[in-house]
Amino acid sequence: MASKAIEVNNLTFSYPDTDEPVLKDINFSINHGEILGIIGPTGAGKSTLAMCVNGLVPQVINGEMEGTVKVNGSEVSGSSVAKMSEDVGFVFQEPENQLSQMTIEEEIAFGMGNLGVPRDEMLGRITDALDQVGLTGFEKRSPLALSGGQQQRLAIAAVLAMRPSIMIMDEPTSMLDPKGKNEVYDVLKNLKDYGMTGIIIDHEVERIAAYCDKVLVLHEGEVQMFAPSDEVFTNIGQLHELTLNAPQVTEFLDSYNQAFGKDVKLSTTLEESVDNFESACK
Amino acid sequence: MNSLYMPKDSLIHSLDPRTKMLFVVFVVASSFILNDPALQLVFLVALFPLVVMAKVVKPYLISIQFLLLFAVLIMTVHGIYNPIGVTPVFEIFGGLTFKYESMVYASVMSFRILVIGTAAVLFVMTTHPSDMASALVKWKVPHSFAFILLSTFQIIPIIAREAKIVMEAQQARCLDVKGSLIQRVKNLVPMFAPLFIITFMKVHQLSYVLECRAFSRKGEKTSLRETKIGSLDYTFLLGMLGVLAFEIYLKLFMMGSLHLTTDALLTYSLFGTWIVFGFMIIKFVVKQFQGKIGGAN
Repeated sequence: MASKAIEVNNLTFSYPDTDEPVLKDINFSINHGEILGIIGPTGAGKSTLAMCVNGLVPQVINGEMEGTVKVNGSEVSGSSVAKMSEDVGFVFQEPENQLSQMTIEEEIAFGMGNLGVPRDEMLGRITDALDQVGLTGFEKRSPLALSGGQQQRLAIAAVLAMRPSIMIMDEPTSMLDPKGKNEVYDVLKNLKDYGMTGIIIDHEVERIAAYCDKVLVLHEGEVQMFAPSDEVFTNIGQLHELTLNAPQVTEFLDSYNQAFGKDVKLSTTLEESVDNFESACK
Repeated sequence: MNSLYMPKDSLIHSLDPRTKMLFVVFVVASSFILNDPALQLVFLVALFPLVVMAKVVKPYLISIQFLLLFAVLIMTVHGIYNPIGVTPVFEIFGGLTFKYESMVYASVMSFRILVIGTAAVLFVMTTHPSDMASALVKWKVPHSFAFILLSTFQIIPIIAREAKIVMEAQQARCLDVKGSLIQRVKNLVPMFAPLFIITFMKVHQLSYVLECRAFSRKGEKTSLRETKIGSLDYTFLLGMLGVLAFEIYLKLFMMGSLHLTTDALLTYSLFGTWIVFGFMIIKFVVKQFQGKIGGAN
């Protein structure tokens, strides 16, 4: 494919009530089928960046924007958020605020109904989406009767059912327990099989390292690193400067290297780290 | 679920919401056309089989109790004090006289409340809110309006939960909720200010979510819930038209020769509401009493 899935050029954005821009001259692009993880301290502008991709910023949330954001080759500023939602799905942080319907199946059907999906196809997609997030059998329940984790997965299912080509999740796991987190990331991995592109904002470096192809590190509105996830997470010195951490195993190998003057190859996965450590100890 | 909807399998449930909305309109119109206590009483009784058909008799009776309160008040107070009355019917202690004209007036008014209440309860209990919303959309009501109607069911429990959280949080900060009445009224401000802010934030966030779910997209929208007007609906509508025609005929040509409203009817309906009201009070008192005894143990 000629065009990139997402292409951001010289993006600068400032909210009306602040002097300093929240995003400064951001440039990155990701290919179709790639998963991008965005990490950074709170207030770095991660959510704002994500909302630029589907046009919520600056169309609904006002502010001054410079630069261009292109999704599937066409400019975001050229169409409305509602139109963009056919291509870009967005999952927010708070699960409860994303639910508006009386039963789970209606919740999932809501987005599709707005897109004008015929009813027969809806039923199939609902089963599909519930299956993907592991909520099969809950169709007739009220969304309010679900736990936080289930609600978040429902919100994901509702977006999945709209079949966007790009899925953005803004800290979807902050309210979830470890099992729920894994389930969300499994959904993220499934996106690849569907040929979808994903962006996830999270603080869970372990899982980001395991599931994402590329990682973008944002700090005070600037891109500090943008590289494949292994490359980002093995650059521990710079991560620490930005008050971020690498996955525990990587941190361990790095501390080991520094404490004993060794040169074990850093890795982000458990298995590989064990292997590296083992061969270095021989 | 936060609505009064009773999921049952009945003929009334399977009617299209639009038919039922027309039915409510028909009942309201009828209650004004039949400007006579006796006819309205007949009409009220005639509505009851529909309640039985919808299999919601018990919840219906429970909710109609509250309307009966109005009926009792209106019939008693108007019957005695309404100045349009001239012909005395009977007297109770202390020289308070019920007069014919004012009793007719009061009965018409209270039966009207009961009749319209019956239709409304029947509609609400047999129609799923989502069905109502999609039916409204088919009547070209704007989508956003239908959404507002539906989202109230969703937002009220959420606000109630938030209110509880705010209350507990403020209590943890030493807000006195058990003080004197004036103190408690003063304390409403630290309770409601955060609640309003939270609600606005939630609604704000919801608007972003809706935008991301293509809510404001132009073009045709579809719905998961299907509502269709079938032969049953047509039969029902025809029946309503027939009754309406008959009512108008009655009103125009028969009123002169028809004298169903008698002193006895008015008196008995007044006594009837009193007796039912008496039962309600007894039930209430017994419940309170049981609560007191239960609390003592």
